[in-house]
Amino acid sequence: MALRRVFAITSILFLLVLAISPLKNALRPYRRFQGEYAKLGASRAKSMQAAKAYLQKPVAIHQIWLPEFENRVDRCTTCHLGIQDASMAGAQEPFRLHPGSYHTPKDFNRFGCTACHGGQGLATLEKDAHGLVPDAEAPLMPLKYIESGCGRCHDSEGVSGAATLSLGREIMEQKGCYACHTVKGHEQFRSEAPPIETMALKTGGEALRRWLTNPKTVDPNASMPKFQLSEKEIEELSNYIFSLSPSRQMADRIRAASSEPAGDVAKGKALFAVARCISCHTVEGKGNGTAPELSTVASRATPGWLIAFIRDPHAFNPRTRMPQFNFSEADVRNVVAYMESEFKDFEAPKEILDPIRVNQTLAEKGKTLFRQKGCFACHAPGAEVDRLGPVLDGIGDKRPASLEFGKRTDLPHTLPDWLEAKVQKPGSFQDGLRMPTFALSPKETQAVVTALLSLGAKPVPHAYRSVPSTRPSLIPGGTVGALMDKYRCLSCHQIGDRGGDISTAPLTAEGSKVKQDWLVDYLTLSFTIRPILTDRMPVFQITKEQASQIALAFETFYLDPSIPEDPFLGQNPASNDPAEGKRLYDTLGCRACHILGAGGGYYGPPLSEAGSRLKPGWVFKWLKGPQKWRTDVRCPNYGLTDTDALRLTSYIGTLVKSPKTSKTARGGAR
Amino acid sequence: MKPLVQIAGILVLLVASSACSRRTAEAHVAAPAGQPANVPASPEVAAAEAPLSYELRLGKETFQHYCKICHGETGAGDGFNAFNLDPHPRDLSDPAFQKTKTDGDLKDAIQRGGSGVGLSPLMPPWGKTLSTAQVDEVILYIRTFKKTES
Repeated sequence: MALRRVFAITSILFLLVLAISPLKNALRPYRRFQGEYAKLGASRAKSMQAAKAYLQKPVAIHQIWLPEFENRVDRCTTCHLGIQDASMAGAQEPFRLHPGSYHTPKDFNRFGCTACHGGQGLATLEKDAHGLVPDAEAPLMPLKYIESGCGRCHDSEGVSGAATLSLGREIMEQKGCYACHTVKGHEQFRSEAPPIETMALKTGGEALRRWLTNPKTVDPNASMPKFQLSEKEIEELSNYIFSLSPSRQMADRIRAASSEPAGDVAKGKALFAVARCISCHTVEGKGNGTAPELSTVASRATPGWLIAFIRDPHAFNPRTRMPQFNFSEADVRNVVAYMESEFKDFEAPKEILDPIRVNQTLAEKGKTLFRQKGCFACHAPGAEVDRLGPVLDGIGDKRPASLEFGKRTDLPHTLPDWLEAKVQKPGSFQDGLRMPTFALSPKETQAVVTALLSLGAKPVPHAYRSVPSTRPSLIPGGTVGALMDKYRCLSCHQIGDRGGDISTAPLTAEGSKVKQDWLVDYLTLSFTIRPILTDRMPVFQITKEQASQIALAFETFYLDPSIPEDPFLGQNPASNDPAEGKRLYDTLGCRACHILGAGGGYYGPPLSEAGSRLKPGWVFKWLKGPQKWRTDVRCPNYGLTDTDALRLTSYIGTLVKSPKTSKTARGGAR
Repeated sequence: MKPLVQIAGILVLLVASSACSRRTAEAHVAAPAGQPANVPASPEVAAAEAPLSYELRLGKETFQHYCKICHGETGAGDGFNAFNLDPHPRDLSDPAFQKTKTDGDLKDAIQRGGSGVGLSPLMPPWGKTLSTAQVDEVILYIRTFKKTES
């Protein structure tokens, strides 16, 4: 009897146990979501048939399986049902159409979800998929850093749609992160920081002390960060720097310059404006700001040094972006005289530029500090550059458990929070840390953290890696190469995949774009092409002969094979019709942005002399699709036919400068 | 007591097997995206949006990049590029304008330009430069001008 009772009880237990599994399954939240989605979809459907289709969808787990992509299995679409459904635009979560448009929705089956968003793709419960899972391999990426996902595949190129990531990479380059930290692809990085051997002849003890305390208070544009240095350490470093002596030749140059007679302030002021120094420098904040602020420069550098430096900056610092101008001896004296008269810190003590009387013991200690603090990484990068910071490759995949939080007990234990605090206030983690403070704004911090999070532990599979589309830059050798180095074209202009972004005109296809004669004129006296720009081409005073050499080289080297020399060749002869082109110019509304004759908008370059400047092949190709040449350009693509584009090209070809307009008149109108 | 042990053994096995069958639901590989992505959001959806939804932020970015130079920061038609233009750009924040123009009208004007809809050609056509989704986002953003004005 007892056995029977036991049997009965266990049978009931069996039934209960058997019921657990289907019950659990039936109660899983995704079933409810799928039901709600079907109702929402049906209510938004445009036809009965479509509504029916929503209601008839079976309830099931959905997944995107990517065997080629790290064998990812993303079941996010089990709940996020509307991400590919156009009728779900703006619907409530989790049904909303994916709002971002890069690679979505068309490439969902190639990239899945977790590649960009992180999270546990296999999970079908909210807290397992993107809740706080301790020590998760790839926790959900906060939206403000979402562009780090772009950087995993686009690892060696700018990503036009990912502004934050691109900014972060730019800042890392500009702030010199790669001087101390190894990152793949940046092994060749060398900081632009000047060698310190000539510092003793450049600056004074007090000026140097102020600089070492916090470079940003001396110069808001300074790229040198603030180091954790005690007063004693600053004293030791200053003594070391003043104990060094430059080469005999440099010392003689500076001394000779300092004994030259004073220049003419008024002439110097005029030259300072004409040469367009503020295309890179700033004066009281006005100007580009990638080069030092000049309003107190005469309280930071001696006149002799300034004269010698402007005459030949590359002898002082081979890595500087400053070009060498063709100023006469007197020109440079005048400019420095102007700087001495106006660019002084009038609140600073008189003896700010007095040298230090070197104490050898302190200097010896300073020498050790120079290595210990890592100053050499930027100021004296040797052939065997030992990067003293930790390797940053793979930092985007670090587990929080392996991070050192030190004194920062206030931080949530997540990688993004750690990185954010680290790049903002590295000193707050630990006393005596070598990493300096860069004074990043919140936006810059977000950008740098995004760039750091994009550095994955292992490269994405080959099929997913984006190959840079920009051509590698081609720099000619010989005389022209030396001239391009002298004028530092790459400091402002893009050439292929290298160069600065101060200029809006990349030189990659310059030879296919502008006429050689025009380029010679422009190089000898750079006039304004786009009046709304403040960062304009400096006036280097290039000789006609040098200008011709450069222009000829550009004509040979910087060509784009897709731009025809003569676009009319083989086309309908009727397309070479300037009168019809003028009609098109008026009906298309080009004057909304371009000045031609009397009226027009300010935004685009004036076209009054465009025919003298631009080659017809370039004009034609530009009109066929401006975005191909500059992705963010505002000039709209009108979708012109070849014939119409050629008609316009022929009209623009007639817009040549009248022979009466002399070069000086144009220069004067600058 | 032997049967009890046996029963217990069977029980354990059952529990174990039920645990294993936790994921009995069929896994469907997601269907490829067949539908076009760009259907304009209906007005009531736009109204229900928070002031700076993702779409609005995209729209704002596009507006500020391409439209602001003529139409101005607030849509009042006072962009610096428009100083010299005749006719002047439309005041997009004008409530009367907002009322009379449907999203379809705006879309048409943006995509085909002024000359496409019988107005001044100084408004260029953006249909070949901006995607349909971008145009929709810009319209969504333009609609917020009314709010700031009234």
